Amino acid sequence: MSSFSNPHYMYLFDLKNGKKKLAYGASPEAALDILNIRLTAEEMAEIIPERYQKIRQRELQKYVHLLG
Amino acid sequence: MFDFFGRIKHQRHSDILWLDLGDLGDLVNPDGPHEQWQDHGLGLLRTILHQNDIQTDILSTRAVRSWPELRKLLPGYRIMLMNVRSYTYPSGLKAAQLFKEVNPEGLVMAGGMHATVALDEMEAIAAFDKICQGPGEEVIVDLVRNPAQFPRVFLGKGARSMADWPAIDRTLWPKPASRHLKRTFNWPLEPECGWGPAPVATILTSRVCPWQCVFCNESSYIPNMGRRPVDMVIDELNYLDRMHGPLGSVVIHDSMFFQNPSWLEEWLEKYPRRANKVWPYWAAARSDTVRQWPELYEALVRETNWDTVSIGFESGSDRILRLLNKECTEDDNLFTIELTNRIGDDLERQGKQPPRFWANIMLGIPGELPEDAFKTLRMLKTMKRVFPSISFYAPYPGSALGNQLIAEGKSLMSKDNYHRFPDDEKVAGVDYGFYRELLAGKYDHEINRGLEEYQTRDINFAEALTKA
Repeated sequence: MSSFSNPHYMYLFDLKNGKKKLAYGASPEAALDILNIRLTAEEMAEIIPERYQKIRQRELQKYVHLLG
Repeated sequence: MFDFFGRIKHQRHSDILWLDLGDLGDLVNPDGPHEQWQDHGLGLLRTILHQNDIQTDILSTRAVRSWPELRKLLPGYRIMLMNVRSYTYPSGLKAAQLFKEVNPEGLVMAGGMHATVALDEMEAIAAFDKICQGPGEEVIVDLVRNPAQFPRVFLGKGARSMADWPAIDRTLWPKPASRHLKRTFNWPLEPECGWGPAPVATILTSRVCPWQCVFCNESSYIPNMGRRPVDMVIDELNYLDRMHGPLGSVVIHDSMFFQNPSWLEEWLEKYPRRANKVWPYWAAARSDTVRQWPELYEALVRETNWDTVSIGFESGSDRILRLLNKECTEDDNLFTIELTNRIGDDLERQGKQPPRFWANIMLGIPGELPEDAFKTLRMLKTMKRVFPSISFYAPYPGSALGNQLIAEGKSLMSKDNYHRFPDDEKVAGVDYGFYRELLAGKYDHEINRGLEEYQTRDINFAEALTKA
């Protein structure tokens, strides 16, 4: 998991309500696993797992208004 | 310098004011040493202004005991400048409103991290006439000379390299504002805070930590910038030692000192040789960078007097380290702890000062389970020499996780309580009662029960070699 051996990326997953959920991890699947640590089953069910985009940390601020 | 009541007298030399921000009274009768630290952004930008023949006066919310006391000092100024961070936003907001009450035609110019991460909050306040997002060192002179040429909100511009920054004129920093504090402060150097002997020089060698921890994400705001050359850092310390010293110790206030091995190797070679004295210093690392470059880390600790090693361990649980996107593991943390313990034991045997950790720890992270928190405290107990710095996770706007929690309606923070009080409740759904009991020792038996297993587990140290 360390940054030298296993770098992480940021992902924006579509939500069923039209908003986006920010997640991060070594892969989209890992990012969903990490979200699952803190979200309830109902909140996880709002995420559309196959609809996501990979974003760069430097561009994070462009997407803040889309989060939900 | 002080009036009959021991308050600092304010002398005017300019119609441009720089207002230093912080809690009222922190330069009069501070609660602790860290409240007395000076603002390098203020120091750098005032130095640039003065070198360009733009004189400014300095006042500080930290140097007064009340808002009416500050209000009396504000009339007649044409411009007030402020460097606003999220945790100083409440005092910046109040000061801006007071300034406009007494100087309706005056201009309030604000920049700083909060302007960048929470622009909407500042835009909504009419008292902020100009708001600079991002670094300001390449625009501040033009802004103050020709404010009308700038829109209300604009993007600042920073230097390409810290080599382009002038050395801060530390006499432009606010002074301690009571006779009592003046005796212990060592102005224009800074007071002792428990990390090393006074007087202390705080200094920056690099800007921006490039990692992506989701409680911070500073690199999503500040462009990459070249590191300050080693020789310039040493020259500045030697100058401070000659002019204002003798220095007792140094705080290298970089977000991440232990990065960029070629710079560190040059520091290792030159600091012991060229500095007037090998002053002990505080500086920050990550546990995975220590594991990546253990020989370099050990050499720096042993040969350059890096005796307070600040590490953002944050958690002793892989689950939570993943949630924080720390990109470090439990094993990285334990590797760093064991290496530092071993170096410390050896130096102690030689009668030398052993290195200590300044261990940043977070609790109350949404999703954290009691066993995660127990593991974190077990990790802390394995450090032989440590200053623990424990706080509850804070969802600051601008950070990735902060933005997401705010969007989910789970943040309990607002513009009125951005202060960094470590035990404030900050996220809905977190059982703060549990954490208070944890810190009060209620679960010590549970923590100690798993300690031996935690300390004696088998770490694959060979992995460090393969990664290096």
